[in-house]
Amino acid sequence: MIIGIDVGGTHADGVLLDGATLVAKHKVAVDQAHLHESIIALLDTLVPDDRRLLERIHLSSTLCTNAIVTGSLDPVGMLIQAGPGINPDYLAACGQTWFFDGAIDHRGHVIRDPDDGLIDEAAAAMAKAGISSVGIVTKFSYRNNRHERYIADHLGSRFAHVSMGHRISGLPNFPRRVYSTWLNAALTPQFLRFKESIEQGLAHRGIDCPCHILKADGGTIPFSRASEFPCESVHSGPSASVMGCLALAGGPGDAILLDIGGTTTDISLFVDGGPLLEPYGINIAGRPTLIRALNTVSAGLGGDSTVAIEDGGFLIGPYRSGPPMCQGGAGPTPTDAMVVLGLLNIGSPDTAQAAMRILSPADPPEQTAKKLLDDFAARIGDAVTAMIDLVFSRPVYTVAALLHRRRITPERVIVIGGPAAALKSFLETRFGLPCIVPPDSEVANAIGAARTRLTVQATLYADSADGRVSIPEISCLMNISNSFGMEQAEAKLHEVICDIAMEMGMTDQPEIDFIERLEMNVVRGFSTSGKIINLKAQIRPGLAAVKGGSL
Amino acid sequence: MNPFMPRAQHRTALILFPAFDWCISPTHPEREERLLYTRDQLLEEGLEDIDNIVFFNPELASHADIDRVHLCAPSSRKLLTESHLISAGGTLRAARAVMDKEAEKAFAIVRPPGHHAMQTVFGDRGFCIVNIEAVMVEYIRRHYGVRKVAIVDTDCHHGDGTQDIYWNDPDTLFISLHQDGRTLFPGSGFLRESGGPSADGYTINLPLPPNTSEEGFDTVMERVVMPILDEFKPELIINSAGQDNHYSDPITNMNFTAQGYARLNQRLNPDICVLEGGYSIEGALPYTNLGIILAMAGMDYSHVREPDYDPARFRQPEDMNRYIDAICDKALEVFANRGRSKNEVLKKKVIREQKSIFYDTTGFHVDEGRQFHLCPECPGFTEVTATSPRARIHAFSVPFNACPDCQKSARKLFDAAKPASQTITALQDRVADIYETK
Repeated sequence: MIIGIDVGGTHADGVLLDGATLVAKHKVAVDQAHLHESIIALLDTLVPDDRRLLERIHLSSTLCTNAIVTGSLDPVGMLIQAGPGINPDYLAACGQTWFFDGAIDHRGHVIRDPDDGLIDEAAAAMAKAGISSVGIVTKFSYRNNRHERYIADHLGSRFAHVSMGHRISGLPNFPRRVYSTWLNAALTPQFLRFKESIEQGLAHRGIDCPCHILKADGGTIPFSRASEFPCESVHSGPSASVMGCLALAGGPGDAILLDIGGTTTDISLFVDGGPLLEPYGINIAGRPTLIRALNTVSAGLGGDSTVAIEDGGFLIGPYRSGPPMCQGGAGPTPTDAMVVLGLLNIGSPDTAQAAMRILSPADPPEQTAKKLLDDFAARIGDAVTAMIDLVFSRPVYTVAALLHRRRITPERVIVIGGPAAALKSFLETRFGLPCIVPPDSEVANAIGAARTRLTVQATLYADSADGRVSIPEISCLMNISNSFGMEQAEAKLHEVICDIAMEMGMTDQPEIDFIERLEMNVVRGFSTSGKIINLKAQIRPGLAAVKGGSL
Repeated sequence: MNPFMPRAQHRTALILFPAFDWCISPTHPEREERLLYTRDQLLEEGLEDIDNIVFFNPELASHADIDRVHLCAPSSRKLLTESHLISAGGTLRAARAVMDKEAEKAFAIVRPPGHHAMQTVFGDRGFCIVNIEAVMVEYIRRHYGVRKVAIVDTDCHHGDGTQDIYWNDPDTLFISLHQDGRTLFPGSGFLRESGGPSADGYTINLPLPPNTSEEGFDTVMERVVMPILDEFKPELIINSAGQDNHYSDPITNMNFTAQGYARLNQRLNPDICVLEGGYSIEGALPYTNLGIILAMAGMDYSHVREPDYDPARFRQPEDMNRYIDAICDKALEVFANRGRSKNEVLKKKVIREQKSIFYDTTGFHVDEGRQFHLCPECPGFTEVTATSPRARIHAFSVPFNACPDCQKSARKLFDAAKPASQTITALQDRVADIYETK
């Protein structure tokens, strides 16, 4: 049995699942200042009588997200080495920053080592300032991590937490690596405190099953690994909801997922049955990062969105100025239209009618309401089209990829959230596709948290002309022979991902996808001196296999 | 605006398409790997996240876009691969980005290059089959009604293809800065090559001595290129941004730098850049491309320096400075005298020019004759006869700025021309946007 817990802003939902069967669900109010107490209280209501039946606890927590929102992050000393390129001064926006003078080039060649004196100066200044978390990032560290490790070694054990850029992600993008590393370092101390409190609480109740944290990419990681990479637990809410819908209404092919709330509609896409990921990562605290995440777009269109008349049409959203008129609000909203049409049974129907008359005094309220919801569905449709266009226009670099790009072609729309059922027929008309409003969707997030399996991504960069391979995620930098080829590269990366997965507690053989494959001859002086191989592979986000039963 | 990322002052579109699966041959300089390190540098710099820098995929140019510019034998369909259409399509995407105001400036970082492709095309010349700048310029003229365009070619090799295509067009100012043709392929680009009978003085060649450095390029930009542009007042400035003047380029002998290329582009302030050559793929291209992008975008490029950059290496001897100054004087004179000879040549009605074009990739010659049918109202149309060992072109080409009479005359001659075996008989009318063969 698995417990899934999704902590939101005001409430936490929890479910106990036996395979895919929902055994229990519960909701508690959350005190963000004492998060672990709320979580333990919720756990107490869900733990099966026979504790040995509990296999795992999956937790989607707002701890890190809150720390960011409230600005209660720990101070970090950032040590950055940029080398040639864009003036790096802008990267000093995350607190105290020291720039070093070494350089590594695009192929991972060391151009110049950083000056020891500068490292010592930075260390002394950080110690004096009472900084205990340090982030170290060099440009191209995913090609060659030597300088990041050198700087870390040089600091020794003087600082409690050291985060290195290459360990966070094997993807390119130096500024994102800097911000991700900063975030990781800034979250580490409080994440460790949180982990300790939860573990004490569990131990106190005699629960010794593994505890996993939900990530933004629709996967999980064990607590032990999350304490090294707490940044991965940020923004897991949308991922819980997407994975919940996958559990409740998933299927093959492409689909659109809409989570319609009071203020916004969150849009996600399923491609070939699985959720679509961001190409790099999400923006956190305004900063672009390499934190792997599901691709979600939030449109300012909700049940309580403001509605105004502009150029003879409705202007819906992007803001909410209060409750709908039928519940005592000041202006008309789409929710009022749903009430007028009898699709939603809340508040005062008379006031809802009045709301429609404000928008169109001459027309019958039912007509106005229908037109408003048609428009509402149309705006959501526009946002979905824009998102699909954006995904289609992601850069490609080969002739084959350009000629064979596939546009996402949804076959279904899955809708959750308060107004989901009320809007079903309007969305069906707009999209010309069947709309599914799954049952139990109020606990979709907790179910998503429970059913989600672990994800791993790793990258490999081999340069046989230089005789070196780099797998940044495991700090691997080793020599290879000139004959090192694609087959060996794939085998190596396969093995690395399996090892990480096993270490994280996966027992069955994982299914690994190679999502990027580039092989190129290195030609110098009209002859081939070796090969460059670039690989990216993952265990993709998905649902853990269950024995029998269904929801 | 994101306070955590730098912001481009000028909204700049990048069409970055390294075509990792295309090459002329595996060990040819124009090979798959050519833009690998450039792409790696640009992605690592985080350009995709910089406010006001936008990336677009290229589209495929149509064969009609190609036939508007070139006379291909046997045909554009037979000569071009999809990669050529994508490279040309990359420039079209750049053009649309600027003309539709999606961006203020655009840079097509695409391959293969194009500036050695002439009006007639029988195969690959100097790594080029399609003149991607010319395809773009005629596309812009066709769809956006632009007339006066300046193309500044900063590739180390003379842009002989672009020169050939715009030879007789006074609405296209073509300026080429390159290593002296006595020392480098294609062996042309001398000061005396100054344009056809209707456009004398609108082709400006600046053959620079080997080892010309930042100083020399600065002088030429300051003394010649910028004043001429100020006077010509183009509606659009295009930079054929070859990067093989770099000191580390393996097939040229110049001494230029990433800082120099960035400064040149800052000064030139082009609307659109199109990558041409550049074969120092590790030591130069990642830095020169980045420098050009930052300069276009109006961003700080002071940190873009090659790992082994040493300013002391780039000082020019005094006699080289004097030599370059003399070239500048002569080039200014060419431009000052532009159009002066037109009245004189008009008396002759038709002017004939003959040349031999060498196709270096497979090694054959084409004999080409061009008859410029002159007109007091417009640049006139051109009759082209070109013969390669395997095919022949006989064509009538009407420029975009031709008058209705010249349009009619060309049609009449085309209709009267007898089709011959092994010969492409063609009418290329850019006013009506027609390409007909028989």
